[in-house]
Amino acid sequence: MVTGSSGTDTKIFGPAAQTARLMLYGLLAVVLMAMDQRGHFVPRIRSLALYLVEPVYHVVEWPVRAARNIFGQFQSHRSMRNENETLKQQLLRQKGVLQRFEALSEENRRLRSLIEGAEGQTFEFQYAELVRVDLDPFSHKVVVNRGALDEVTAGQAVIDGAGVMGQVEDVRPHFSTIRLISDPNHALPVQINRTGLRTVAFGSGETGVLKMPSVPRQADVREGDLIVTSGLGDRFPGGYPVAKVSGIYREEGQTFVLVEAVPLAALDRGREVLLISTPDVAQEEGQDPELQDGLEDKSAPGEGANQEVDKPGAEEDGVEQNGAEPSEAAKVVGGEDPG
Amino acid sequence: MNSRRIRPGVIILTLAIAIVLTLVPLPLNLDLLRPYWVALVLIYWCLESQDQISLGMAFSLGLLLDLLTGSLLGLHALSLVILVYLMTRFRARLRFFPNWQLALSIFALLLNDRIILLWIISLRGDPVPSLSFWLPPIAGTLLWPVVFLLLDRARGAMRR
Repeated sequence: MVTGSSGTDTKIFGPAAQTARLMLYGLLAVVLMAMDQRGHFVPRIRSLALYLVEPVYHVVEWPVRAARNIFGQFQSHRSMRNENETLKQQLLRQKGVLQRFEALSEENRRLRSLIEGAEGQTFEFQYAELVRVDLDPFSHKVVVNRGALDEVTAGQAVIDGAGVMGQVEDVRPHFSTIRLISDPNHALPVQINRTGLRTVAFGSGETGVLKMPSVPRQADVREGDLIVTSGLGDRFPGGYPVAKVSGIYREEGQTFVLVEAVPLAALDRGREVLLISTPDVAQEEGQDPELQDGLEDKSAPGEGANQEVDKPGAEEDGVEQNGAEPSEAAKVVGGEDPG
Repeated sequence: MNSRRIRPGVIILTLAIAIVLTLVPLPLNLDLLRPYWVALVLIYWCLESQDQISLGMAFSLGLLLDLLTGSLLGLHALSLVILVYLMTRFRARLRFFPNWQLALSIFALLLNDRIILLWIISLRGDPVPSLSFWLPPIAGTLLWPVVFLLLDRARGAMRR
């Protein structure tokens, strides 16, 4: 009926036909939104359609990039030298920190060999830049300039210089979309670095606040505590800093306290990010995430000794903490120590 | 009214510019002020052309915008369809409004759009946005005269 009337009324534009069309399109839009929200079918169409609109990002980004290049040309020699100097100092400082890290990781390896644990896997980092494109301010997503052609896969963790930023959601040939940890629909398995207490950090919808609603009342949490990833859930490698506790809200009669934390990563103003990849992300898909809790009892030295290395506090409760990628750890063991 | 027929190329070009303006990064917190460019351009063409902006066009434009901005698919589609519907409905009256009244009506339209967006946000169960949520309609209304003049120029230049 609706289509019939719109067919005859294309010239006349009767108000009734127009209203009918409004209803039709409105309904269509609402259905689409509902399906997108629920994750039925539409997200797949969306990621296909994104291939088609990808060129637009190139178009938008091009002038910005060009402007920056030109600006870079005119940057004075002196400011360059200053920048160079500070960068050198920074590098030296980082190197100092890293030296210590080398020693620690060596020590860690030795200790692990004492308790016959497996080696933790190494991660590879891929440098990416945020594409200078502003998305919907309510969507908590950013676009980076690495995509399927650079072997980015959905689900990869993304960090910046200060902490965890989010995870890769959609991958296109040259770009990928990253969902930030501040998204209200994002949950991140974390632990409090000082005590090892594990919990889940949810986005709050604001870039400056993460919420941890399920911290037990009697738990030892203080303002300023560092929150790191726990490595549970197989997506984020453990031990990366996430946030600092900014507020603890105890309500009378509640079992849990609400802990709020400020993300360390520059979620709304950063420019460079690192994509973390484990050498075989593909294999982990088949792994059962439930596996990780039962691992310790099953672990014969060869197959299941999956421990995570580079994680502070791992010695406290090693059983629950062997977080990431059992398959990878198993592969490393298989490669170096076939027994 | 046949002189009012506008070349589709002009409409498409201006809409494309509006899309780029929507995506282009702004320094500092200026993006909180970013007006709803596509809506402004659509309003202009609704006013000036007879019936060249159809609801279907608004819908597909909205879908494109949804894809590009990464918002919920159908969000901008709904908002633009309602916008164009209201414009075609009240076009005859709006065209003879004095400028300041026209600007006020456009403010009302943009505000209405924000209210629809707020409704969707609350349906999703997302937290209520802060006060800066209401800035874009104000910025849009303030920029409307500029948009109007520029688009008038563009149309004039294309006709010659």
